[in-house]
Amino acid sequence: MVGDVNAALAVVLKDLRLTWRDRAGWLSAASFAAISVLIYSFAFDLATSDVRPLLPGVLWVTFLFAGVIASGQSFQRESEQGTFDALLLAPVSPSVLYFGKVVSNLIALLVMEVALLLLATILFDTMLITAELVLIVVIGTIGYVSLTTLLSTMGSRLRSRTMLLPVLALPLLVPMLIAAVRATGASLGEPSGSAPWTLLLVVFALWSAAGAALLFPSVVER
Amino acid sequence: MSAPGHAIDPPRRGPRDALSALLARVYALRWDVLPPLTGVAMMAMIVGALIVAPRELIEGELQRIMYIHVPSANAFYLAFFIVFVASLLLLWTRDMRWDAVARGAATVGVLFTGLTLATGAIWGKPIWGVWWTWDARLTSTLILFLIYSGYLLARSTSDVNDEQTARFSAVYAILGFLDIPIIIMSVRWWRTLHPQPIVFRGLERPAMPMEMFVVLLTGMAAILLLTLWFIVLRTEAERLAQRTESLRAAIDRREAP
Amino acid sequence: MESNLDFLFAGFAVFWAGLFVYILLLQGRLRALGREIEQLEERLDETEGRPAGR
Repeated sequence: MVGDVNAALAVVLKDLRLTWRDRAGWLSAASFAAISVLIYSFAFDLATSDVRPLLPGVLWVTFLFAGVIASGQSFQRESEQGTFDALLLAPVSPSVLYFGKVVSNLIALLVMEVALLLLATILFDTMLITAELVLIVVIGTIGYVSLTTLLSTMGSRLRSRTMLLPVLALPLLVPMLIAAVRATGASLGEPSGSAPWTLLLVVFALWSAAGAALLFPSVVER
Repeated sequence: MSAPGHAIDPPRRGPRDALSALLARVYALRWDVLPPLTGVAMMAMIVGALIVAPRELIEGELQRIMYIHVPSANAFYLAFFIVFVASLLLLWTRDMRWDAVARGAATVGVLFTGLTLATGAIWGKPIWGVWWTWDARLTSTLILFLIYSGYLLARSTSDVNDEQTARFSAVYAILGFLDIPIIIMSVRWWRTLHPQPIVFRGLERPAMPMEMFVVLLTGMAAILLLTLWFIVLRTEAERLAQRTESLRAAIDRREAP
Repeated sequence: MESNLDFLFAGFAVFWAGLFVYILLLQGRLRALGREIEQLEERLDETEGRPAGR
């Protein structure tokens, strides 16, 4: 058991190092996300007085698109350089590998999302860095990073992968998107109905992490 | 040398052998059994839906669409369940025949999902006034349509005997199927935020006269048979494609100097 | 209340058209497979002919 935890930590650290080396790629994903927020501002005229109803949607669509694309691209670069295959040869179980991948992706995505929250706080004069909101973002991100990591591992070997990954991932993520937007809205004071959105978000995060962890071995075995 | 008085026992045929023998016998009858059963049932459904069933008070004749809309939904439930089971079996046994089953069932599922959406929208236009109102059921069906179309799309990016793509697609199909209850739940909660269109509560009636119920059951049986028949046909076609592809590969190898 | 017969007809027509199109597509696939098998049989004949020193 202790050996597994050590192995997991080692994999996470190694993945974080890889991610750091790959920071140019993540930086461009973050830039894409920032530009998306600006584009939405122009398209939906978010310069108006009450931007709150639209803000959760804008944020989460940006997070999802940027996150899905970033995971896909990062995995593609890794497989081009053969680093993922090298990792597979290591004497750790695939589930531990998967866990390491998810954690390092999660950290990179959270950094990106918090930066975006800061940007949005300034642009829209709405306090977005609250404990409640950040917690919702964390749980929601855990929910989607599990699936996108799994799918990008698969997707890198399929042809026409760049467009295919969002097409495959997004329909599966609809419940998470619905719940995250409503929960974020609720924390900003928007009417969001009586459904337990945050609970749904937690359930989705647990479900996707468990499902992906169970299925990952089937994806990497030869 | 066996002891005197003991014959050598025949190999033990346990219940599992008997079951698979039985299933094989049933499956061998498919060409003879499915077409006539399906034909009779479909005719019964048409007669029932258009003639036998009584005219509904509120919606008039339009309500008869329900007799093909609801069974279409059942059809894709069954089809996607078969995709799920076949995908699990593919991952477990690594037998590519299950990939053929999964692909066959997925195409039939996508067909009936599309038909459910189309008949739902056609019913909706006169009742709701618009073709689409983000009704919880239809929206969830639309998402399923996208998931399984995505499955077929991803699977088709490489050839019919590619085991790796088959496995990936199976994983995706399993994730998709397990996501279904969550999708349905979240979309329903999402829709209860907004007032429903005035006149209706959904495409089903809470209590219906016996004649209507019988016709509906007939329709469900008919479409279920049709679904099975289509899945069998399509799976056989996919299986043939796999065997043709391996044949082609073998001939390529033979021709190479 | 109008009986909405047009829409009823459209609904059933779309349903049957959908089934019909599916069968057509399936037929197309089978015919393509048949052609492919013919092609492969020809190639097989040829490879068997070659070692005999044609």
